[in-house]
Amino acid sequence: MSAVTAVPTALQVPRRPSRVVPTAVAVIVGAVVLAAAAGLPIPWSDLGSLPGQVAHYLGLMFAAPNWAMLPQALFETWRSISMAWIGAIGCVIVSIPLGMLAARSIGPIWLRLPLRGLFAVSRAVPEVIIALLLLTVTGLTPFTGALALAIAGIGTQAKWVYETVESVQEGASEAVRAAGGNTAEVTRWALWPAVAPTLLSFALYRFEINIRTSAVLGLVGAGGIGSMLANYTNFRQWDTVGMLLIVVVAATMLMDAVSGAIRRRIMRGPRAKAARAQREVRTDVARVS
Amino acid sequence: MTSSLTVPPKPRSRVRTALIVAAFAAFTAATCIPAIGGIELDLGAIVRNWSNGSGLLAQFLQPDFAFLPRTIGPMLETLQMAVVGAALAAVVSVPLTLWAAAPTNPNAPTRVLVRTVINVVRSVPDLVYATVLVAMVGVGALPGLITLFLFDLGIIVKLVSEAIDATDLPIIEAGRAAGGTQTQINRRGVLPQTWPLFANQWLYTLELNVRISAILGIVGAGGIGRLLDERRAFYAYDDVAVIVLEILVVVVLIEIFSNLLRRRLV
Amino acid sequence: MRIDPLHAEVGPSPASASWSIRLDDVSVTYPNGTRALSGVSLDIAAGEMVSIVGLSGSGKSTLIRTINGLVPASSGTVTVGPHTVTGMRGRALRELRGRIGMIFQGFNLADRADVYRNVLVGSFARTPTWRTLLGVTTAQDRELALRSLDAVGMLEKVWNRAGHLSGGQKQRVAIARALTQQPSVMLADEPVASLDPPTAHAVMHDLRRVNRDEQLTVLVNIHLMDLARQYTTRMIGLRAGEVVYDGPAAAAADHDFEQIYGRPIQPRDVLGA
Repeated sequence: MSAVTAVPTALQVPRRPSRVVPTAVAVIVGAVVLAAAAGLPIPWSDLGSLPGQVAHYLGLMFAAPNWAMLPQALFETWRSISMAWIGAIGCVIVSIPLGMLAARSIGPIWLRLPLRGLFAVSRAVPEVIIALLLLTVTGLTPFTGALALAIAGIGTQAKWVYETVESVQEGASEAVRAAGGNTAEVTRWALWPAVAPTLLSFALYRFEINIRTSAVLGLVGAGGIGSMLANYTNFRQWDTVGMLLIVVVAATMLMDAVSGAIRRRIMRGPRAKAARAQREVRTDVARVS
Repeated sequence: MTSSLTVPPKPRSRVRTALIVAAFAAFTAATCIPAIGGIELDLGAIVRNWSNGSGLLAQFLQPDFAFLPRTIGPMLETLQMAVVGAALAAVVSVPLTLWAAAPTNPNAPTRVLVRTVINVVRSVPDLVYATVLVAMVGVGALPGLITLFLFDLGIIVKLVSEAIDATDLPIIEAGRAAGGTQTQINRRGVLPQTWPLFANQWLYTLELNVRISAILGIVGAGGIGRLLDERRAFYAYDDVAVIVLEILVVVVLIEIFSNLLRRRLV
Repeated sequence: MRIDPLHAEVGPSPASASWSIRLDDVSVTYPNGTRALSGVSLDIAAGEMVSIVGLSGSGKSTLIRTINGLVPASSGTVTVGPHTVTGMRGRALRELRGRIGMIFQGFNLADRADVYRNVLVGSFARTPTWRTLLGVTTAQDRELALRSLDAVGMLEKVWNRAGHLSGGQKQRVAIARALTQQPSVMLADEPVASLDPPTAHAVMHDLRRVNRDEQLTVLVNIHLMDLARQYTTRMIGLRAGEVVYDGPAAAAADHDFEQIYGRPIQPRDVLGA
């Protein structure tokens, strides 16, 4: 029964914890951002006209895209895709053995560390720089682009390789060794079947990444749709630029979807399931023991 | 005395493997036919022109550190672009992400719309944005800023909305049972639970921005890329090397900084 | 009808605001074809404390969710107090839900938020969205939230992170959240299934106290026989989506439970001390 009393009983509410630190941090972050913004040579006051400007150009590009140039655009798109594909193959061919050598269970430490250092350096240098460097050797051709993609990707790709190798269960490797196998045989019979699906999946992912990067390389002259885009943008031919953008978006989304679907099928396959199961057993055992 | 064994047939999808290999080979072949747009594998060119490249490579491997002071100003501009771009994207990414995730937006049509727009935005490479924007609004930091904003937005919304889709959020049922609107539930139920996901991606885009905005300058979108391109055009690869190293150092510093932050966030 | 929280001794709802619950031939079929409830009819008077007993899969969760519309009834009518739930949507449904408190087996708290913010969730239905967005609470809601926490003995943890509490403490916070709604009906979906025996008894005790002190209608989903018998006055048995028992809880014999479960009694059906 609720007794409605005339005098409110006072609540013993504990003190609220201090919020000084989070507030100070927020203020500092805000100040840094504002300072950065103020320092930029951007006419902030003029930004009001920006949406109008952008809308104007969007109209020029997409109101009536120049479909007459579509055949050439598709030709150049295939060029970019080829760049991406060959670059991916080159990258994967080099990074799988190198990555395996850099894995803990395979390569000796005097080999692992320098290799990993090499990969870190490769990761740090943007593809564009590599492409520019290669220009002098192989010229302004899509082949340069493919080479640049291959070389630039080695760092990340090899890292994925050795991470995958290291996460796979060691039981099978032990069994082969116990039967007298050397490292090469362990790799072929125990390691490879377990990591193959994941590596294949990463290879396809490299292809997906390369497709985007190939357009970028085209902008600096390696050919493909990026070059076409750069040219027509420089000539301010907005209706063609609009058409090219549509082609780029459509091609990228299509390739992403197809590649993504294939990757999912690979990872769902029997070997991949076994590899996943192995990893799960390993973590279970690790948790218990 | 040897009895012949009945071995069960080896399950091998020979036909399927053969088809896959054939498809792969055909695709690869098609990418090497210049007539339809394939590339020409001119490995001979490497052999012939190696000396051109090796000279420049040697230069590249001997960075000219005396050049460092001239890089400070442009590097600062790169950092500023990176920070402001990441901050703007962070702010706009919150409502967009909530619209794109299923637990926070039960309305399927708007969700699909937001996701599709984000996918389209993500399909355009960063440098393409920069090139087109430079032609639209002129050379400088502004096209670079807009490029970073769009690029970051695409990444944050996609990754965080997928993470939200995969997260268990029982508070949502409680909020509904209490009669809250979706906005109330999102603000007081979902956001407290998902701040780490957001913060993680915000820091990641900050790192990415520094790497990318260095390159954007090549097409005129501000930052140290312009200096880099200028030096390259003069074949001063020792200066280029200094710039690349500088970018590397800054990126590593930001990685360390954001790793520290991430550990304190959880 | 709300009372001034500053002048109340223990939480919300005076007796006259308590609602009855009525289900009229309610059936629920899920989109995947599963038939969860078949022609369930129930009449629960205001102020009753009723347990719904049955195995998992018997339809208990579905039934309790038809009452606040979290699961829409495929056919039949659900009436709570003067309101017809079936067919309700939008703002009207939210306002109704605001008057129905619910606690869950998994507590359903925002673990990274503090207890105070969690309890304030109970004020959603009567708070305009802009207030929630900005985090501006009225003095009344703040007082109500704190009083509700005090009523369940959790006031000293008000600024703690909800995720740092034990199971029993979390469920208490959930009850405080429900009380903040000043509800006319309290629903509890397996509130003690995740708790150890002493804590389970304490939470059931709290629910019963709320029922007795406020004459609040309480509906509890529970699969443990002894708790149902000990803490509720009326028991409804559900099996395969149909009501197979409806009578005084204390009078329910073991063989009644066997009929409800469709199998012999097992040790896990009893909580114990």
